[in-house]
Amino acid sequence: MTPDVFLFWFLALLIIGSGLAVLLFTNPIYSALSLAMTMVGVAAIFITLHAYFIAGVQLIVYAGAVMVLFVMVLMLFDIKAEIQAFSSGKISGAIKLISVGLLSGLIVGGIIMGQKSFVGELSKDAVQVAEAQKVKKSTSPDAATKELGMVLFSKHIFGFEALGVLLTVIAVGTVALARSRGGTHHAK
Amino acid sequence: MAEASGMPLGGVIFLTVFLAIFGTFLIFLARAIGGQRKNNSAVKRDIYECGIPGQEKRETKVSVKFYLTAILFILFDIEIIFMYPWAITFRDFIGTGQGTFVFVSMMIFLAIFIFGLFWEIKSKALEWD
Amino acid sequence: MGQDVFEITVNCIKLVLIFLMMVQAVPILVWVERRGSAFIQNRFGPNRVGPLGLLQLLADAVKFLTKEDFAPDKAIRPLFYAAPIFALIPATLAFAAIPMSVPLEIGGYVFKIQGYDMNVGIVFILGVSSLAAYTILMAGWGSASKFSLLGALRASAQVISYELALGLSIVGIILLFGTFNLTEMINAQQGTLSFKAFGHTVTSAYIPNWGIFYQPLAAIIFFAATFAESNRLPFDLAEGEAEIVAGFHTEYGGFKMLMFFIGEYGHMMLGSALMIIFFFGGYGIPWVTVEDVRQWAAGLSESATTISVITTLVHFLSFMIKFVFFLWVFIWVRWTLPRFRYDQLMDLGWKTMLPWALGNTILTALVIYLIS
Repeated sequence: MTPDVFLFWFLALLIIGSGLAVLLFTNPIYSALSLAMTMVGVAAIFITLHAYFIAGVQLIVYAGAVMVLFVMVLMLFDIKAEIQAFSSGKISGAIKLISVGLLSGLIVGGIIMGQKSFVGELSKDAVQVAEAQKVKKSTSPDAATKELGMVLFSKHIFGFEALGVLLTVIAVGTVALARSRGGTHHAK
Repeated sequence: MAEASGMPLGGVIFLTVFLAIFGTFLIFLARAIGGQRKNNSAVKRDIYECGIPGQEKRETKVSVKFYLTAILFILFDIEIIFMYPWAITFRDFIGTGQGTFVFVSMMIFLAIFIFGLFWEIKSKALEWD
Repeated sequence: MGQDVFEITVNCIKLVLIFLMMVQAVPILVWVERRGSAFIQNRFGPNRVGPLGLLQLLADAVKFLTKEDFAPDKAIRPLFYAAPIFALIPATLAFAAIPMSVPLEIGGYVFKIQGYDMNVGIVFILGVSSLAAYTILMAGWGSASKFSLLGALRASAQVISYELALGLSIVGIILLFGTFNLTEMINAQQGTLSFKAFGHTVTSAYIPNWGIFYQPLAAIIFFAATFAESNRLPFDLAEGEAEIVAGFHTEYGGFKMLMFFIGEYGHMMLGSALMIIFFFGGYGIPWVTVEDVRQWAAGLSESATTISVITTLVHFLSFMIKFVFFLWVFIWVRWTLPRFRYDQLMDLGWKTMLPWALGNTILTALVIYLIS
């Protein structure tokens, strides 16, 4: 049992456990905090896949901004605890969820593996990636992030600009929505 | 896997677990030495409200400005995140001769960003009173 | 963490030591704060307990330990108790990524004088310190009191607003150095001023090659944003006395409150350390490169181990001097400036710092583009 395998299983169990906790907690604040823990776990998985910058971004944006928004909104609206998701208790509910998840994973995996051409394609890409990886190992650890930057600003430049427009539209829309309900200004 | 001079994930996890255990230990220590709460008076068990017994119900309404601030924070945070790979590869791009293209494209992005910020300031979405 | 058991053990001990160093620095800082504020306000600080009042904090810690462990009736127990524990985590995780000196080479091993070396250092530190908002929210909600809740919401809104200015002011530095790694940033600030412009190399022997001479505006914005991140005056409305009692930690007493303060001072230390690394050359000595120090140490002794130890110690001392200076500036500012009102605070974050940081980024990019 090498440290890498142990790390992966630990993180996988953490993520799945927090994900289940989101569904099984009745108090909404606990659900939101479990979701934040799931995001942190996913960031850790990114690190094991050598995607360091993406892991940092996941921490900053998802765990540090989006989930803070969720928790703040839950506190603003003081939502009462929901009724329990499963009528016969949490443990049996968790077992039901886990078994459904396993079954669907097995079905999808079986379908994908069965398609021979897909497997051939997968392994072809994997071989290419592995060879590129061998070349990359000799460069500095910053290489992956720089690679990301290079690709982002050359091939995906249109998507990048479109994202800027999208974010501005969201900002304008949110403010307009809040104002239309009399949010930002109280009648003096 | 995670140790190839990139990110010492084991160190982070060790430190987090250690801190959680240490913090829990400290709290138990304080409970053991100081003693648990003695229910002396009803006023002591109630929450603090400048010394008078609690007046309003807890379910008071809170302003929506917190929500707006959080949403705008997410949006601008994402825009800032996009500036990081640009910043780290800017000099390399200049080296390969594509500096102008990258510079101009980022300036367009920043122009959209500044327009969003400017509009949102002008529309008084963040006025706190 | 290392190849063999010895290295792993040493690294684990190093992490624990860094955390303990942070915890030990809190009493010292509080003592400096109380004596320093007394000096500024022309009165005596604590001077009864122990020589110069140094044992005052020990007495305070014992007092906190022996206080009753108290939780209001309506408090939500798990959150109420989890919040002070969680307060320790972001500050320590981020501080452990700060390089404090040149790596030590003993035997065949290389020990870095930091908890762990992140190659995306600054992105990790920003990510982890943005988790500090959860401490505030958990404490405010767990106290089940509307004052705590309001204080928590205001404090977390303040923290996230200034995270924007923090993240943006750093983009200029990253443009300049072209890396996220903190050690490489420090190495790029060695020696005297020298940069390439229009093909020529401009040098000056009088100015050290520090970030502050390249990015003064970013330094000011970053420093102000760190004040807001750690809820220090002049930004401490969310915990200010006489405003909203004590904000999100109203209902806390005894050791749990002490743990919040460890977190706050931890953020202060993180801010000082980052300030030094970005703008003041980190552990480097001004005008002098690491190689020069190594040569000087080689002149003093023969064995490679001793040379490495001397170099590391000299640089650690340099880091500590700058670190302590900036911590003193934090305390100095606290007792000099009055507190901001909340709307002034938010206006400053969104309408002043953000545009100025943007302007700084655009200007830096323009200059780099033009001179290359």
